[in-house]
Amino acid sequence: MIELVERFLAVPDALSASPIFAIGLTLSAFFAGNWLFARIGKPLWMPPVVLSAVLLSAVIALFSVDYARYQEGALWITVLLGPATVALGIPLYQQIHHIRAMWVPIVVTLPLAATLAAVYAVVIAWAMGATPEVLASLAPKSVTAPIAIGITEQLGGSVPLMMGGLLITGVVATLFVDVLAKWLPVEDERILGFALGLNGHAIGTARAFEISHTAGAFASLGMGLTGVFTALILPVVFHL
Amino acid sequence: MPMLRGFLVLVLFFLFGEALRLVFLIPVSGGVLGMILMTFTLMLRGRVSNALASASQGLISVLVLLIMPGVVGVFFMASQFSGQWLAVAAALLVGTFLSVLSTLLLMQGLVRLSARGRAND
Repeated sequence: MIELVERFLAVPDALSASPIFAIGLTLSAFFAGNWLFARIGKPLWMPPVVLSAVLLSAVIALFSVDYARYQEGALWITVLLGPATVALGIPLYQQIHHIRAMWVPIVVTLPLAATLAAVYAVVIAWAMGATPEVLASLAPKSVTAPIAIGITEQLGGSVPLMMGGLLITGVVATLFVDVLAKWLPVEDERILGFALGLNGHAIGTARAFEISHTAGAFASLGMGLTGVFTALILPVVFHL
Repeated sequence: MPMLRGFLVLVLFFLFGEALRLVFLIPVSGGVLGMILMTFTLMLRGRVSNALASASQGLISVLVLLIMPGVVGVFFMASQFSGQWLAVAAALLVGTFLSVLSTLLLMQGLVRLSARGRAND
């Protein structure tokens, strides 16, 4: 009987040694976050990714799951970001006719706005005394996660800090586009979508698809182009 | 099966991108190089196979799941950045406000300008 209890108590430790435990935990938090998001009325300021991450962190902390071991197992998930980045090339190709129809404003705005998105953040943080590692983590804040991870590693920043910045940027960019669209005002859905994707990456793009399909297409375009442009330019400029 | 075949194409493009990065010391991640190669290959080919389209849709729709372990890292970060939180918060909030404003104004101005240019033709 005592042996049975001992074996029972050893189960959590044995299970958490396998990567499938980290996968199960992440998937559970993903679905729980999405469920909770729908339950609280899909608020703009609290996207499902934040809810899921908070839930997952809470479970890890509460049940004292070995964090290093969790990340080791979760590698089975994050390693898919590589092919997922390649996959972004497909919508980019599918929207090539949108680029052709509006190519002058896009080609002029993109390099300027994508550069400004990084420069504003880096200059503000630098003026307030942030270290080079923090600056390197903030620079790709408007770039979609799989590309931003690559950029941060190249620049020598901290990936967790960059991910936090990315998340906050996505949420506040979505809020600011909504507010400024009314205030300026800007009514063209193509412009709103492009601004959402350019500044707010995947979170902004998700919001744009709620406005309209056209806005969503332009957001994917803005997100993809900002990713490519920043990935090509930032590592070169940052080292100067 | 078709979706797996599409996934294999994505993996091969990624590996090819990584190989290019390592050989030519390109300061861009292998995934980004693979994405650029993918876009140009499709432009040359002129169409996307169903297998590739369904594999890419599948991966893009779970993008949030893929970045979750990284986001969780924020809560377990060592306090090595303490004392810099104000700078980080200001950079994110003020910086994003300014960049959204710049994008909207730039884009709107240019769209009006090109519309006027077209009307004058």
